[in-house]
Amino acid sequence: MKFSASAAILLFLVFAGCAHSPNQGGSISPSGSLHPSQPALTAPESTQNAATTPTAATAAESESGPANLSPKNTDHPPIDEGKATVAASGSLSGSAAAGDTSTTANSDVEEEDAEDETDHQKITDISDPLEPFNRAMYHFNDKLYFWVLKPVAQGYSAVVPEVARTSVGNFFANIGFPVRFVNCLLQANFSGAATEFGRFFMNTVWGIGGLLDPAASKKIGLQKQDKDFGQTLGIYGLGTGFYINWPFLGPSSVRDSIGLLGDYALSPVTYLNPWELSTGVNAYDKVNGVSLKIGDYESLKGAAIDPYVAMRNAYVQYRLKKVKERGPMREAPRPKGLVYLRDKEGVPASDNSGLMAGQ
Amino acid sequence: MMIAALAVFSFSLPAHASGPFGPPQPVADKTGGLHTAIGYWRQADQLNDHARSVIRQTQVYSEAGYGWSDRWDIYGRIGVSDMKVINAFSSASAATVTSKNDFHDHWGIFGTLGAKGFYPINRALGIGASVQGTYYFRDFADDMSGAQNGTPFSTELNVKDIWDVHLGIGIQGNLPYDLKVYAGPYVYYSQAKVSASPNIAVLRFASGPARVRNHSPLGGFAGMDVGLGKGFHLNIEGRYAARFSVGAAVTYSY
Repeated sequence: MKFSASAAILLFLVFAGCAHSPNQGGSISPSGSLHPSQPALTAPESTQNAATTPTAATAAESESGPANLSPKNTDHPPIDEGKATVAASGSLSGSAAAGDTSTTANSDVEEEDAEDETDHQKITDISDPLEPFNRAMYHFNDKLYFWVLKPVAQGYSAVVPEVARTSVGNFFANIGFPVRFVNCLLQANFSGAATEFGRFFMNTVWGIGGLLDPAASKKIGLQKQDKDFGQTLGIYGLGTGFYINWPFLGPSSVRDSIGLLGDYALSPVTYLNPWELSTGVNAYDKVNGVSLKIGDYESLKGAAIDPYVAMRNAYVQYRLKKVKERGPMREAPRPKGLVYLRDKEGVPASDNSGLMAGQ
Repeated sequence: MMIAALAVFSFSLPAHASGPFGPPQPVADKTGGLHTAIGYWRQADQLNDHARSVIRQTQVYSEAGYGWSDRWDIYGRIGVSDMKVINAFSSASAATVTSKNDFHDHWGIFGTLGAKGFYPINRALGIGASVQGTYYFRDFADDMSGAQNGTPFSTELNVKDIWDVHLGIGIQGNLPYDLKVYAGPYVYYSQAKVSASPNIAVLRFASGPARVRNHSPLGGFAGMDVGLGKGFHLNIEGRYAARFSVGAAVTYSY
């Protein structure tokens, strides 16, 4: 019953979010609708390079462990939000300027930049009607990280060597196979599904139940397909919806929150009994994951004046990149050449070829 | 109603499998490294009771090992195995009838530790030695019922504290296409404790507690190992010691 009610609320929210977003990103509201300083956020290269920045990298990690990526406290003095965002992605600005000069000679790159600029405008304009709530949740998650998660992870990493923690991470990644496999299939990414199946088989059999990851070695070269339901819904054209920062879970959107339900249903850990065991195993997975990347979130806080905005932007950029990786679902290509010949010449292609040869 | 045990049998039961030795030369390259494997082993052997009872086991295991170079290697295996002893419950007396003849139990978990060393004589030949021991973490048990002179009985036979150790010396030949063939003799010893509750005097394996062992301590093995590419190797091996055993493993070297 609770599940149904939650799903209904989320569906309502996502449709409400879609109303703000007619474009492919769907959920992206017009610039400045909620953030008057958004023009300051539209430095074109920040989108292009976002994936390489610590901010984006941290946001990427938030997919698997968002709780450790919660924002900093809001003790800093009031600032212009636009400036804050530029500062948050300030490391990108320099490369942005360099990129402008280096790409003027290449029209393809220019087109790409223009496309990226358009994308960036979409990206940074995610609707955030729950900003007061979201900021509060950032604060909560921030304290959760610094007061609970980080100390536990530090103690854990002091006791357990890194190689063992990496193996534990490999194990949890391996049992997350159903999520990635099913989403590859749902995205009609059959190559990715085959890769995932091969990885699961290889790592389970020769990776000692998934503790090792031989499939990702240079010899085998089967890389993990990081697919989830939120991404699948985005590829299907569902809008992002507005921004939500969940307690414990971290940054998300309405669409990705729905996706979380799908991921939750496909995760084998969900079905452990009793539920305390399932929760404990998930918590251990998070602690283990955090222990392997202590300092990432601190880097974000050090680099951003307003980590809330920086995190939000990085999250949206990362998710849009994930959706763009696969691209929108398209119809199968038609045999245009054959149709053209039939339509124009009125004879089948083979017959046409024969005529040509005879002449 | 129970029938008390009177006799103590004097035979050995287990001739437990540890899986194949593999080629004498470790799978790791000159710089060393980790390897993992999955294997299957079908073991058959003879016990040293007066009836020379036959024991059969089917094992599936996972292996992980580390080689410091292509000369030295240690490995561990963990797997599951069944156990079947042919005619374990059969009675020589016409006055005794039993519900079944064979002892059979499934999925005993075992662990194996092994090490091997290799010395290349030249590019084509080499000699090596392997030692490996196995311990079963789970006991095997099977129950049966029957009647003696019209008096019904039932009992459960337990086989526990099972372990074995194997020592083999093999000569290896290196052939083209990453093919290795090897053969050599080996010695082994295995034992277990057998007990029944309650004891049934007329049944060979249930007449009382005993420590049992394998019949023949000597055997021979031969096998081949072929590279499959991308770090995979297929190993097929056969052994003979009173009965023929065979198995295969696919190894991946990191």
